[in-house]
Amino acid sequence: MRESTRMLFHYITGLGIVIVGGIHLFTVFLMGSYLQNLAFIGGPYSVIAIYKTAIFAVTLELLLIFVDYHALNGIRVILIEFHQGKGWERGVSWILAILGVVLLVYGTRTILIANAITI
Amino acid sequence: MTETLTSDLRNAITGWFIPFRYNIERWAYALQRITGIGVTAYFLAHIVETGNVVGGISVWNTPSESFARDIWTATFQFLDNPLFDIGLVVIGFMLAYHTINGIRLTLTEFGLLQGKPARPDFPYQPKSFTKSQRAIFWFSILFATATAVYAMTIFFGV
Repeated sequence: MRESTRMLFHYITGLGIVIVGGIHLFTVFLMGSYLQNLAFIGGPYSVIAIYKTAIFAVTLELLLIFVDYHALNGIRVILIEFHQGKGWERGVSWILAILGVVLLVYGTRTILIANAITI
Repeated sequence: MTETLTSDLRNAITGWFIPFRYNIERWAYALQRITGIGVTAYFLAHIVETGNVVGGISVWNTPSESFARDIWTATFQFLDNPLFDIGLVVIGFMLAYHTINGIRLTLTEFGLLQGKPARPDFPYQPKSFTKSQRAIFWFSILFATATAVYAMTIFFGV
Protein backbone atom coordinates (compact mmCIF):
# COMPACT_ATOMS: atom_id res chain seq x y z
CA MET A 1 0.00 0.00 0.00
CA ARG A 2 1.34 3.42 -0.91
CA GLU A 3 2.24 5.81 1.88
CA SER A 4 -0.32 8.35 0.63
CA THR A 5 -3.07 5.70 0.79
CA ARG A 6 -2.08 4.81 4.34
CA MET A 7 -2.24 8.46 5.35
CA LEU A 8 -5.60 8.90 3.60
CA PHE A 9 -6.92 6.04 5.74
CA HIS A 10 -5.31 7.77 8.74
CA TYR A 11 -7.40 10.90 8.14
CA ILE A 12 -10.57 8.94 7.32
CA THR A 13 -10.30 6.84 10.50
CA GLY A 14 -9.52 10.02 12.45
CA LEU A 15 -12.78 11.62 11.32
CA GLY A 16 -14.57 8.31 11.93
CA ILE A 17 -13.27 8.31 15.51
CA VAL A 18 -14.69 11.81 16.04
CA ILE A 19 -18.14 10.39 15.16
CA VAL A 20 -18.20 6.93 16.77
CA GLY A 21 -15.95 8.07 19.62
CA GLY A 22 -18.47 10.84 20.23
CA ILE A 23 -21.20 8.21 20.43
CA HIS A 24 -19.03 6.20 22.84
CA LEU A 25 -18.57 9.20 25.15
CA PHE A 26 -22.27 10.03 24.84
CA THR A 27 -23.26 6.53 25.98
CA VAL A 28 -20.81 6.59 28.87
CA PHE A 29 -21.62 10.09 30.15
CA LEU A 30 -25.23 10.67 29.20
CA MET A 31 -26.90 7.24 29.20
CA GLY A 32 -27.43 6.05 32.72
CA SER A 33 -25.43 7.19 35.69
CA TYR A 34 -21.95 8.28 34.66
CA LEU A 35 -20.83 7.70 38.23
CA GLN A 36 -21.69 4.05 37.71
CA ASN A 37 -20.15 4.03 34.26
CA LEU A 38 -16.91 5.76 35.20
CA ALA A 39 -16.38 5.20 38.90
CA PHE A 40 -18.19 1.82 38.76
CA ILE A 41 -20.37 2.53 41.74
CA GLY A 42 -22.65 -0.50 41.70
CA GLY A 43 -20.47 -2.45 39.28
CA PRO A 44 -19.47 -2.12 35.63
CA TYR A 45 -22.58 -3.75 34.28
CA SER A 46 -24.44 -0.60 33.26
CA VAL A 47 -21.90 -0.17 30.44
CA ILE A 48 -22.42 -3.76 29.34
CA ALA A 49 -26.18 -3.22 29.44
CA ILE A 50 -25.89 -0.27 27.02
CA TYR A 51 -23.77 -2.24 24.59
CA LYS A 52 -26.24 -5.10 24.47
CA THR A 53 -28.19 -2.92 22.02
CA ALA A 54 -27.03 -4.11 18.57
CA ILE A 55 -26.59 -0.64 17.05
CA PHE A 56 -24.33 0.47 19.91
CA ALA A 57 -22.35 -2.76 19.70
CA VAL A 58 -21.76 -2.01 16.01
CA THR A 59 -20.54 1.53 16.77
CA LEU A 60 -18.24 0.08 19.43
CA GLU A 61 -16.78 -2.41 16.94
CA LEU A 62 -16.30 0.43 14.43
CA LEU A 63 -14.57 2.49 17.11
CA LEU A 64 -12.27 -0.45 17.83
CA ILE A 65 -11.36 -0.83 14.13
CA PHE A 66 -10.80 2.91 13.60
CA VAL A 67 -8.74 3.47 16.76
CA ASP A 68 -6.75 0.29 16.12
CA TYR A 69 -5.70 1.51 12.67
CA HIS A 70 -5.27 5.17 13.62
CA ALA A 71 -3.20 4.52 16.75
CA LEU A 72 -0.88 1.91 15.25
CA ASN A 73 -0.42 3.83 11.99
CA GLY A 74 0.45 6.87 14.10
CA ILE A 75 3.08 4.87 15.97
CA ARG A 76 4.39 3.58 12.61
CA VAL A 77 4.73 7.15 11.31
CA ILE A 78 6.63 8.15 14.44
CA LEU A 79 8.94 5.14 14.23
CA ILE A 80 9.82 5.57 10.56
CA GLU A 81 10.42 9.27 11.10
CA PHE A 82 12.68 8.32 14.01
CA HIS A 83 14.87 6.01 11.91
CA GLN A 84 15.10 5.22 8.20
CA GLY A 85 16.06 2.06 6.36
CA LYS A 86 14.28 -0.56 4.32
CA GLY A 87 14.62 -3.34 6.91
CA TRP A 88 13.55 -1.08 9.76
CA GLU A 89 10.50 0.20 7.91
CA ARG A 90 9.34 -3.28 6.85
CA GLY A 91 9.97 -4.69 10.33
CA VAL A 92 8.08 -1.87 12.05
CA SER A 93 5.17 -2.17 9.63
CA TRP A 94 4.86 -5.95 10.07
CA ILE A 95 5.19 -5.96 13.86
CA LEU A 96 2.58 -3.21 14.20
CA ALA A 97 0.26 -4.93 11.71
CA ILE A 98 0.41 -8.16 13.73
CA LEU A 99 -0.13 -6.23 16.98
CA GLY A 100 -3.11 -4.52 15.34
CA VAL A 101 -4.70 -7.86 14.39
CA VAL A 102 -4.16 -9.21 17.92
CA LEU A 103 -5.80 -6.13 19.46
CA LEU A 104 -8.68 -6.33 16.99
CA VAL A 105 -9.33 -10.00 17.77
CA TYR A 106 -9.11 -9.48 21.53
CA GLY A 107 -11.31 -6.37 21.49
CA THR A 108 -13.90 -8.07 19.27
CA ARG A 109 -13.90 -11.00 21.67
CA THR A 110 -14.70 -8.58 24.51
CA ILE A 111 -17.60 -7.06 22.57
CA LEU A 112 -19.03 -10.47 21.64
CA ILE A 113 -18.78 -11.86 25.18
CA ALA A 114 -20.25 -8.68 26.65
CA ASN A 115 -23.17 -9.14 24.27
CA ALA A 116 -23.71 -12.76 25.30
CA ILE A 117 -23.16 -12.36 29.05
CA THR A 118 -26.23 -12.69 31.28
CA ILE A 119 -26.63 -9.80 33.69
CA MET B 1 22.98 3.15 8.04
CA THR B 2 25.28 6.02 8.81
CA GLU B 3 23.68 7.01 12.09
CA THR B 4 23.22 4.73 15.05
CA LEU B 5 19.88 4.22 16.75
CA THR B 6 21.14 6.07 19.82
CA SER B 7 21.91 9.26 17.93
CA ASP B 8 18.60 8.85 16.06
CA LEU B 9 16.85 8.69 19.41
CA ARG B 10 18.64 11.80 20.67
CA ASN B 11 17.80 13.68 17.46
CA ALA B 12 14.19 12.56 17.66
CA ILE B 13 13.69 13.64 21.26
CA THR B 14 15.37 17.03 20.87
CA GLY B 15 13.79 17.56 17.45
CA TRP B 16 10.26 16.53 18.30
CA PHE B 17 9.72 17.21 21.94
CA ILE B 18 11.68 20.40 22.66
CA PRO B 19 9.76 23.03 20.71
CA PHE B 20 11.35 26.07 22.38
CA ARG B 21 12.92 28.68 20.06
CA TYR B 22 10.45 27.69 17.34
CA ASN B 23 7.06 29.14 16.49
CA ILE B 24 3.72 27.99 17.83
CA GLU B 25 3.12 25.55 14.97
CA ARG B 26 6.03 23.52 16.34
CA TRP B 27 4.29 23.40 19.73
CA ALA B 28 1.13 22.13 18.04
CA TYR B 29 3.20 19.42 16.34
CA ALA B 30 5.01 18.34 19.53
CA LEU B 31 1.76 18.24 21.49
CA GLN B 32 0.00 16.27 18.73
CA ARG B 33 2.77 13.66 18.85
CA ILE B 34 2.91 13.45 22.66
CA THR B 35 -0.88 13.25 23.00
CA GLY B 36 -1.02 10.62 20.24
CA ILE B 37 1.42 8.40 22.12
CA GLY B 38 -0.47 9.01 25.38
CA VAL B 39 -3.86 8.13 23.93
CA THR B 40 -2.39 5.02 22.25
CA ALA B 41 -1.10 3.88 25.65
CA TYR B 42 -4.59 4.45 27.07
CA PHE B 43 -6.14 2.49 24.17
CA LEU B 44 -3.92 -0.53 24.90
CA ALA B 45 -4.75 -0.38 28.60
CA HIS B 46 -8.46 0.05 27.85
CA ILE B 47 -8.51 -3.08 25.66
CA VAL B 48 -6.94 -5.08 28.49
CA GLU B 49 -9.21 -3.51 31.13
CA THR B 50 -12.47 -4.07 29.24
CA GLY B 51 -11.31 -7.61 28.44
CA ASN B 52 -10.96 -8.23 32.16
CA VAL B 53 -14.53 -7.06 32.76
CA VAL B 54 -15.85 -10.04 30.81
CA GLY B 55 -13.44 -12.56 32.28
CA GLY B 56 -9.88 -11.97 31.09
CA ILE B 57 -7.73 -13.58 28.41
CA SER B 58 -8.33 -17.21 29.38
CA VAL B 59 -12.07 -17.01 28.68
CA TRP B 60 -13.18 -17.63 25.09
CA ASN B 61 -16.84 -18.38 25.62
CA THR B 62 -19.51 -16.76 27.74
CA PRO B 63 -18.47 -16.89 31.40
CA SER B 64 -20.89 -17.18 34.27
CA GLU B 65 -21.80 -13.87 35.84
CA SER B 66 -20.18 -14.71 39.17
CA PHE B 67 -16.90 -15.66 37.48
CA ALA B 68 -16.84 -12.40 35.50
CA ARG B 69 -17.77 -10.46 38.64
CA ASP B 70 -14.81 -11.94 40.55
CA ILE B 71 -12.33 -11.01 37.84
CA TRP B 72 -13.92 -7.60 37.52
CA THR B 73 -13.64 -6.99 41.26
CA ALA B 74 -9.91 -7.75 41.12
CA THR B 75 -9.47 -5.34 38.17
CA PHE B 76 -11.51 -2.69 39.92
CA GLN B 77 -9.54 -2.94 43.15
CA PHE B 78 -6.37 -2.44 41.11
CA LEU B 79 -7.85 0.58 39.29
CA ASP B 80 -9.34 2.16 42.42
CA ASN B 81 -6.39 4.45 42.94
CA PRO B 82 -6.12 8.28 42.75
CA LEU B 83 -3.12 7.89 40.44
CA PHE B 84 -5.34 6.34 37.77
CA ASP B 85 -7.92 9.09 38.28
CA ILE B 86 -5.21 11.70 37.67
CA GLY B 87 -4.17 9.64 34.65
CA LEU B 88 -7.70 9.79 33.25
CA VAL B 89 -7.79 13.58 33.72
CA VAL B 90 -4.55 13.81 31.70
CA ILE B 91 -5.93 11.40 29.08
CA GLY B 92 -9.06 13.56 28.83
CA PHE B 93 -6.88 16.60 28.12
CA MET B 94 -4.83 14.66 25.58
CA LEU B 95 -7.86 13.19 23.79
CA ALA B 96 -9.61 16.57 23.51
CA TYR B 97 -6.47 18.31 22.24
CA HIS B 98 -5.65 15.54 19.76
CA THR B 99 -9.21 15.60 18.39
CA ILE B 100 -9.48 19.34 17.73
CA ASN B 101 -5.89 19.76 16.54
CA GLY B 102 -6.35 16.63 14.41
CA ILE B 103 -9.33 18.28 12.70
CA ARG B 104 -7.07 21.26 11.98
CA LEU B 105 -4.45 18.92 10.48
CA THR B 106 -7.10 17.17 8.38
CA LEU B 107 -8.22 20.53 6.97
CA THR B 108 -4.55 21.29 6.23
CA GLU B 109 -4.06 17.91 4.55
CA PHE B 110 -6.87 18.66 2.13
CA GLY B 111 -5.55 22.16 1.43
CA LEU B 112 -8.04 24.21 3.43
CA LEU B 113 -7.22 27.29 5.55
CA GLN B 114 -3.74 27.38 4.03
CA GLY B 115 -3.33 31.04 3.16
CA LYS B 116 -1.57 32.33 0.05
CA PRO B 117 2.05 31.47 -0.73
CA ALA B 118 4.35 34.46 -0.29
CA ARG B 119 8.02 35.37 0.08
CA PRO B 120 9.25 34.65 3.63
CA ASP B 121 10.18 37.94 5.28
CA PHE B 122 11.41 38.88 8.71
CA PRO B 123 10.22 37.86 11.33
CA TYR B 124 9.54 34.71 9.31
CA GLN B 125 6.06 33.91 10.54
CA PRO B 126 4.89 30.71 8.84
CA LYS B 127 2.43 31.70 6.10
CA SER B 128 0.62 28.38 6.38
CA PHE B 129 -0.27 28.87 10.05
CA THR B 130 -3.04 31.34 9.25
CA LYS B 131 -5.29 33.23 11.65
CA SER B 132 -8.03 30.60 11.41
CA GLN B 133 -5.47 27.84 12.03
CA ARG B 134 -4.21 29.69 15.10
CA ALA B 135 -7.80 30.08 16.26
CA ILE B 136 -8.40 26.31 15.97
CA PHE B 137 -5.12 25.61 17.81
CA TRP B 138 -6.04 27.87 20.72
CA PHE B 139 -9.55 26.46 20.76
CA SER B 140 -8.07 22.97 21.04
CA ILE B 141 -6.05 24.07 24.10
CA LEU B 142 -9.15 25.69 25.62
CA PHE B 143 -11.34 22.65 24.89
CA ALA B 144 -8.73 20.29 26.33
CA THR B 145 -8.48 22.37 29.50
CA ALA B 146 -12.26 22.39 29.86
CA THR B 147 -12.31 18.60 29.42
CA ALA B 148 -9.65 18.19 32.10
CA VAL B 149 -11.61 20.43 34.48
CA TYR B 150 -14.79 18.44 33.79
CA ALA B 151 -12.93 15.17 34.45
CA MET B 152 -11.60 16.60 37.71
CA THR B 153 -15.11 17.49 38.87
CA ILE B 154 -16.13 13.87 38.24
CA PHE B 155 -13.18 12.19 39.96
CA PHE B 156 -12.39 14.62 42.75
CA GLY B 157 -15.56 16.69 43.05
CA VAL B 158 -13.56 19.93 42.73
